Amino acid sequence: MRRLIAILSAVIAIVVGLITLSGLLVGDELGLLTVFVERYGVRDLTSVFLQLVVVTVAVTLVIGLFNLVVVHTGRIGRLRRGWPYSLVLLVSFLAVVGLTLAERAGLASAVPGEPAYTAILLDSVEVSIESSLAALLLFSLVYGAYRLMRRRVTWANMLFTFILLVVLLGALPLPGAGISLLAQVRNWLLAVPVSAGARGLLLGIALATVVTGVRVLVGQDRSYRD
Amino acid sequence: MVGEAVEADRPLHLSLGHVGLGGDNTVLSLAVAELAYQAARRAAIGATAPIVTVSNPSALPLAQDTLRRAYFTRERIVPYSGSQARWYPSNSQTLAFAAALTATMGDDRVAGNVLAGSFGPELALVLEQAQRRRIPTIATSTSLDGQAVAYAMADFPLLGEEVFAAGGYLGESAGQTAVVVTLDVLRWLLILGILIPAANALSDGALLEAVVRLLEGR
Repeated sequence: MRRLIAILSAVIAIVVGLITLSGLLVGDELGLLTVFVERYGVRDLTSVFLQLVVVTVAVTLVIGLFNLVVVHTGRIGRLRRGWPYSLVLLVSFLAVVGLTLAERAGLASAVPGEPAYTAILLDSVEVSIESSLAALLLFSLVYGAYRLMRRRVTWANMLFTFILLVVLLGALPLPGAGISLLAQVRNWLLAVPVSAGARGLLLGIALATVVTGVRVLVGQDRSYRD
Repeated sequence: MVGEAVEADRPLHLSLGHVGLGGDNTVLSLAVAELAYQAARRAAIGATAPIVTVSNPSALPLAQDTLRRAYFTRERIVPYSGSQARWYPSNSQTLAFAAALTATMGDDRVAGNVLAGSFGPELALVLEQAQRRRIPTIATSTSLDGQAVAYAMADFPLLGEEVFAAGGYLGESAGQTAVVVTLDVLRWLLILGILIPAANALSDGALLEAVVRLLEGR
């Protein structure tokens, strides 16, 4: 029975994948393929599938919220390490949900011309906290560069640190011939080797994405088999 | 890393970052889930289940299914709990997710991290916390910012498409090994596709003419 379900799910995934791919890729001048796509309404079917994806992703948000509540309620129930944070999270969650519902029902209207309470809450809490973390990020990055050399001095690590210093110094808006030269070196580094390396990485990822996509389309992905 | 986690009876932490199903990252999500599956399958023999964290809610069912399959293949479905896959809500590349991961490392006394997926520079916060707690970490990101941070700060960084080859390295099926071989062949074809036109342009077309003459036996 389990094997039958696995085969069925693979067939559904392959058929839906091929139909969606045809609907998105086949243009107006591809002969028989275009005739097939137009005669059988493949583009309309593709549009329906894409709308279903949007709806499914929206449903996963509800699943996520349920997961969040279950995980943190469990932590509080078992008094796991850090449970007070879970309590704060749940209370904040319920308070924001309550406030949003009250706003929608007109029970907690904002002052006319002023932003809604939930927007104020978002600006004054989340944005502030994320700004503080962004400031910390700088120190983490500097510590990372320091640790790179401390961990193990290799040619690759030395090159990495040297380039990092050149790029940082070259970006300084200071006068002087030395800095100007560093700025030129920095611009060349960013335009040639860094750009080439980045393209190499992205090309590798693109190739791998294509191969993995083909595996999914031919039903070789593990999720169809177990 | 997995062996240490099992022996210490502490959880392994697997994070898929900001990847999710139904968007640009769908295929990447599947590749990262394969890596998570291989790690979770090895950790499933222990008493403490691995923790899988995601920031995109669409990746949550994938994370739960990955854990379930890992336990199912070990025939230990009883210790599996869906709540070991956790959603930490955040937008793409925001710091809230990084903050949540740092808290997870401390609260759950994580024994090792596998951070594979889409991360931005905020990965530095997580990796710094891991270093402070002496937690070994494998990290990679498809975002270039995150990749640079992972290279500089992770104990075991993976580069570029290596995350897609994880199934081939860690798995046992011929199909997964075929992916690695296919990737290598495609990579060499791509390199030749770049180098040959470049060499031809540098020689003002003389290279291709010479090849054509050679093929015609002149």
